[in-house]
Amino acid sequence: MNQTTETLINATINGKAISAPEYLSVIQALWHAGYPRIKSVGCLEGVCGTCRVLVRRQNSQNITTELGCQVLIEEGMQVNFLAFPTPAQQHYKLEDIRNSWEVQDNFHTIFPEAENCRHCGGCNTTCPKGINVERGVILAAKGRFREAGDLFTECVLCDLCQSACPENIAPNHVGIFSRRVTAHLHTRPSNLINRLERLRKGELKVVI
Amino acid sequence: MTNNISYQEALANYEAVAERPLPEVNYEGLLEKYHPDYFKDACVQLKIGPNKGDICHIQLAEMLQADARIDEADLAGAQVIETDILIIGGGGAGCAAALTAAETGARVLIATKLRLGDSNTVMAEGGVQVSIEKDDTPQQHYDDTLRSADRPVDKKLVAEMVMSAPDVIRWLIQQGMQFDLDEYGDLLTRKAGGTTAPRVVYFRDYTGLEMMRVLKEAVRSTEIEVLDYVPTVELLSDEDGHCTGAVLSSLEDNRYKLVKAKSVIIATGGIGRLHLNGFPTSNHFGATGDGLVLAYRLGAKLRDLDSFQYHPSGLAYPQHLSGTLITEGVRSAGAYLLNAQGERFVDELQPRDKVAAAIMRECAEGRGVDAGNGIQGIWIDTPGLELKNPGIFNARFPKLIKIGKKSGIDPRKQPLLIYPTLHYQNGGVIIDKHGQTNIPGLYCVGEVSGGIHGRNRLMGNSLLEIISFGRRAGIHAAKYSPRKPFRKISIEHLSRLRRELMLADMPMDSKGPILFPAYAKFETDSDYSGLHKNKKSK
Ligand SMILES: Cc1cc2nc3c(=O)[nH]c(=O)nc-3n(C[C@H](O)[C@H](O)[C@H](O)COP(=O)(O)OP(=O)(O)OC[C@H]3O[C@@H](n4cnc5c(N)ncnc54)[C@H](O)[C@@H]3O)c2cc1C
Ligand code: SF4
Ligand code: SF4
Ligand code: FES
Repeated sequence: MNQTTETLINATINGKAISAPEYLSVIQALWHAGYPRIKSVGCLEGVCGTCRVLVRRQNSQNITTELGCQVLIEEGMQVNFLAFPTPAQQHYKLEDIRNSWEVQDNFHTIFPEAENCRHCGGCNTTCPKGINVERGVILAAKGRFREAGDLFTECVLCDLCQSACPENIAPNHVGIFSRRVTAHLHTRPSNLINRLERLRKGELKVVI
Repeated sequence: MTNNISYQEALANYEAVAERPLPEVNYEGLLEKYHPDYFKDACVQLKIGPNKGDICHIQLAEMLQADARIDEADLAGAQVIETDILIIGGGGAGCAAALTAAETGARVLIATKLRLGDSNTVMAEGGVQVSIEKDDTPQQHYDDTLRSADRPVDKKLVAEMVMSAPDVIRWLIQQGMQFDLDEYGDLLTRKAGGTTAPRVVYFRDYTGLEMMRVLKEAVRSTEIEVLDYVPTVELLSDEDGHCTGAVLSSLEDNRYKLVKAKSVIIATGGIGRLHLNGFPTSNHFGATGDGLVLAYRLGAKLRDLDSFQYHPSGLAYPQHLSGTLITEGVRSAGAYLLNAQGERFVDELQPRDKVAAAIMRECAEGRGVDAGNGIQGIWIDTPGLELKNPGIFNARFPKLIKIGKKSGIDPRKQPLLIYPTLHYQNGGVIIDKHGQTNIPGLYCVGEVSGGIHGRNRLMGNSLLEIISFGRRAGIHAAKYSPRKPFRKISIEHLSRLRRELMLADMPMDSKGPILFPAYAKFETDSDYSGLHKNKKSK
């Protein structure tokens, strides 16, 4: 479109010097400067968790982990995209948990490391969504799954906390497990169940 | 362009008011004059393939009639993988098919272009339709769907879909999906544009994120094999025209892999990233209509190729967020749309095509807001909604608050500028109630398929469709595939394609499927020389 009087920002992305208008995200800035970028691009809206970047801002020693589609470029910013190796994952079936009395027991079998949390806060620091991941792990280990799961409402499964955890706890999967088990065992809406019953009895039909 | 009113002046005209009466609105000829489906020269007749003679959007036609990316020579020495059921595309429809098929013990492989879950599904906000309220019925759901479709649909598919909706929600809950519930644990519902009853169930404005997260986790914790970053570039067939597998191109090592399968389920989603008519889009990066191209080449029949959904409320300003969706849930909750004079101009809960066209009419007739750099739009009155219903944004639309932060605008205090954004492919591959196409061995489910939505999809009917038909295809393929023998694999159908292209005097210089939008510069990327080389050598 119209790109006449814009101020350009200079930043370094994946080691390449890039100039682009200030309103672009680091992914858009790469494209703008003519560099290809396919991997680490997904929804472009901050919900798929694929576009993980390391960011260092001018005059700062701090390196942060963020989502590349959500970071606007800034003068002197250094950005590196992180590859996405999909880490191994726990295998479990919700159907194998027979009732809500047995969730805790199952949880510790599926996530034996969760008890070893050393409260280092690494997961919290790295989470681009500002989730209190550590607290989620602690709550889940105590069997407070509903509360634990609620903390992960905005989790995009970017796996950053998983890479950061020195105890291999897979805190994000602890969070999603907590959410899933809560729905699986406790969501029983009467309005839905009534409707299913009426359908089962053949009381509702569609005339085409 | 017409002179619209400047952003500053329009903002000065605006005042947050909780209740505003609906003015007289003229819908006569609105679509014909302003909806992009009716733009002059938007459509052409297809010259080759099973839909020869049918009208089709010009950009899509170019892809459907493009040459293939590969040749016989590319397949020599390629690794061959065998599986019972190959699922192409790792969004909601693909995962639902995979999970149901795997339950029966069938061997299932999901091969997807980006990573599992990087999809349109994860982005959905508004919710899923299911008739569960006392004064609502599947019949009403069916009637609403047909009324907004505004053109003939496959009525049997719609009936199957609405009848299965409650079971779809039950299945999702069993997979571990949460929904917003009232104090007694009942599902909360809300109305959508074009519905006669509150029928949309949801989880905040993160319905798709919650759904995708759960499905992805469910898939990853089973034996289903998943290959990320392997876009399918071609299907495989045998001499009888059965679909017998697919050719994947790995973005890791630039090599082709051949998958030999007894059934193939295409679940590649929509076309937003083709940016039809130059529109921005709400869709994810991989939504380039690949599945339509793959299926069409093998002889699958498509429908409604001239009709696309432009969602009324794409963010128009600031520019870097252009196209980002503001969920219809905000309008369902009662937010008004206002023109630059601060007046309502449309019933906000009319079907999306009408609302989108009405917005374009305001802008074309000088009542729009001009934000400079060619950006125009109208207001969505978020402060008015907050006034009417204090705290609603924090409680129900957390994602919108985040979008506000990124744009430097607090939607509770200042209205947001919106303009229609390319959102959904209304048509697609023709299927039966099991998701089967007219090609033996080939299923299509989700946004890639057609027949249910006519010219206009209702909010919440797509998330319903992908799970409803994803599961059906999974069950059907699992029942019939594992016992079948493997068939021969070849790309014989490409000779037919090339012959047809020559006979119709069509250019053979563009290749499809395109896989990625041009601005990602996939074709010029030296990292992917495997594919690049093929393009040059033709
Ligand atoms: C922002 C947004 C909000 C929405 N909100 C709602 C809503 O509230 N309610 C509703 O009902 N609907 C909504 N929709 C529509 C709905 O989300 C989609 O139509 C639906 O999720 C499509 O599901 P799918 O599984 O068919 O496709 P997708 O979820 O898009 O999945 C397709 C998958 O296939 C992959 N793929 C593509 N090409 C290839 C290839 N060549 N090879 C291999 N893999 C490939 C893609 O990368 C992707 O992983 C919304 C859509 C968007 C974009
Ligand atoms: S909790 Fe972990 S996986 Fe989820 S968003 Fe935060 S860092 Fe990413
Ligand atoms: S990173 Fe691991 S060990 Fe450290 S606080 Fe988080 S969960 Fe505990
Ligand atoms: S691309 Fe999906 S979170 Fe950034």
